[in-house]
Amino acid sequence: MSRDTLESSTSPPPASGPAISAARGVAELKELASAKDRRFFSALRDQTVAAQTLVDVLMLASLRKRVAQRGLSPEQQAIRVAVLGGYTLYPLNELIGHFLAAAWYPTSYSAEFLVGDYDNYISEIIDESSRLSEFRPEVIVIVPSHRRCAYSGYLFDPREKQEGEARATAAHILELCQTAHKRTGAEIVLFNFPLPGRSDPGPYRTRTLGSDWNFRKLTNLELGLNAPSYVHICDAEFLSARRGTRNAWDARAWFESKQPYGPELTLDVAREAAHLIVSLRQSPKKVAVLDLDNTLWGGVVGDDGLDGIEIGDTSPRGEAFKAFQQYLLSLTGRGILLAVCSKNDYEKAVEPFEKHPEMVLRMKDIVSFKANWQPKSENIRQIAADLNLGLDSFVFIDDNPAEIEIVRQFLPEVETVLLSEDPSEYAGMLQDARFFEPKSLTAEDRERVGQYKQEAERRELLSHVTDMGSYLESLAMEAAIREFRTVDAPRISQLINKSNQFNLTTRRRTEAQVQAVIADGECFGFTVRLADRFGDHGLISVVIGRVQGQEVEIDTWLMSCRVLKRQVEEEVLNELVRLAVARNCTRIKGVYLPTAKNGMVKGHYPALGFTATVATDDRLEFELDVPAYAAKPTTIKIAERSYDSI
Amino acid sequence: MTQSEVIAQLQPIFDDLFMERVVLTPELSAHDVEEWNSLLQISIVLAVEQHFKIRFRVGEAESTNNVGEFADLIARRVAEK
Repeated sequence: MSRDTLESSTSPPPASGPAISAARGVAELKELASAKDRRFFSALRDQTVAAQTLVDVLMLASLRKRVAQRGLSPEQQAIRVAVLGGYTLYPLNELIGHFLAAAWYPTSYSAEFLVGDYDNYISEIIDESSRLSEFRPEVIVIVPSHRRCAYSGYLFDPREKQEGEARATAAHILELCQTAHKRTGAEIVLFNFPLPGRSDPGPYRTRTLGSDWNFRKLTNLELGLNAPSYVHICDAEFLSARRGTRNAWDARAWFESKQPYGPELTLDVAREAAHLIVSLRQSPKKVAVLDLDNTLWGGVVGDDGLDGIEIGDTSPRGEAFKAFQQYLLSLTGRGILLAVCSKNDYEKAVEPFEKHPEMVLRMKDIVSFKANWQPKSENIRQIAADLNLGLDSFVFIDDNPAEIEIVRQFLPEVETVLLSEDPSEYAGMLQDARFFEPKSLTAEDRERVGQYKQEAERRELLSHVTDMGSYLESLAMEAAIREFRTVDAPRISQLINKSNQFNLTTRRRTEAQVQAVIADGECFGFTVRLADRFGDHGLISVVIGRVQGQEVEIDTWLMSCRVLKRQVEEEVLNELVRLAVARNCTRIKGVYLPTAKNGMVKGHYPALGFTATVATDDRLEFELDVPAYAAKPTTIKIAERSYDSI
Repeated sequence: MTQSEVIAQLQPIFDDLFMERVVLTPELSAHDVEEWNSLLQISIVLAVEQHFKIRFRVGEAESTNNVGEFADLIARRVAEK
């Protein structure tokens, strides 16, 4: 739905606006707190979620505690959390507690903490008389010491020795987790190790497992790959890399008070640990409900029509929408269902899914399709009923703030993602919204793993092939050859105008001129789309033939260079001959017009069996005898041919 | 920068961090203010470093005994820049 056609009068004023500047935010919060206004909690949530510095979060945490002392608290669920590790664990516990209390409002968790002593985690876990069992934690957060994750020998020691020590380090930590879990039944949130940000020992760090850099990386890998299902990794390695490893470690904070990280990483890991703890209690999201116009494609299909919407490789914007669709499609591989909810006429809305060649999502990928003029909140309620799923497993995705607000107001259980103005950000925004993260393996996943293994073995075989024929065979190429279609005109024109190297005549054509070719009874034109097992190459070749009596002259023949030597040329010629025969022609004339860039196709026609007829400086002509031609065998499977009705 | 100039700039930082209005004087210390706990102490140091664009050396911020000494330390670090 575009912003222009939006009925803004139906949109209620936002109850909780987006993040505001920290200073104004604090003033507003204090005001709400003084007035004992319960909107304090939604404002606190929004600022907590948006906070980017440790000072901001500490400030919000202090404020929340003061307000609680004055008797203003939301309804809370209790949770018991032990935090143990090789560091001073305060204020880490306070920060985790703050996120648990504030960031998921109206759900709010009141955490009671057992805070371990500095670097006493091993005995606190192993010693049966420690206070851990008595505390009965539901979750144990373990922050192992980086000092126990360093290679004890030399950089130049044998790799086997270094590798063995890293594996043993990880195994020891996972044993501790197992002991803690067995003693208490608690779920374990295990912090892995951030990457070191200092230069020493230079790039040599990559060549040895004796460097902190590689030793921590291998230990982290071992932890993640071997963690049992009750262990939830708080990925400090990822978070440190995302923020920048340079400030992940704060030597001053370590010497002063044995803090594990610099301020930013402290904030990030606390937020992440709270996220992991909350996901233990909340049901996962199962359905992504998608808007259409300016969400899945650019423009408004109702106004701009099938040919007018932006989707696919014609423009940077079109590519961005296509990439977003590809990400959404990849979610279905994780078991996420896709649904559509759009203010549109149904027939108009389904047309791109059925007919647009560049769409990634098709009707088969959509489990429920609502395109009508009812409020979106009603449609989502209907989708939930159709699928027999709770509204709390839905995420609604739209570029229109008014639609998002309506859904937030009327269906507070549904999570929402408001897309930005820039489609290149869409996939990233959804990825960072964190609604569709896989948690642990299901039986079905395990079965799939078995299938992957078979597939991997097959590929292993293929990877050993050395001759060209077997290589091409292994690509499992499939081509669709189609006559020019109106809807493809922008892409045809684009390829015609940008192809320089594999282009026999370099005749440029605008979209309108392409349309003229379609309308011209003397001409035929076809395109080739190629896909292989590594993905879809899209539209890669364009050919225009002109019929003159018994002869077809090849007006245009061009191809994208990324599919050179894939036998596409042979298949194009097979198709040309087929069309020539259908039009009762006996000769095909090929022309090569040299330019500064198309030298690579100078020998194109002779290589395909054409005979030279004319040779001047600015023009080569060739001829092929149609009745004598035998179709060239290739490894490409042709799924579709042009002018099928012929 | 004088001690009182630094304290004048500290006042709004404290106003942001504390619920109650805390009027800063050179003699004031954490013991005098109920709200001034270790969580707030961490916040104060980080917020001050951010505001004055300075970085205290290891151990020195916690060795100051009152707002006056803290302000003098800030003034020294600002003067070095």
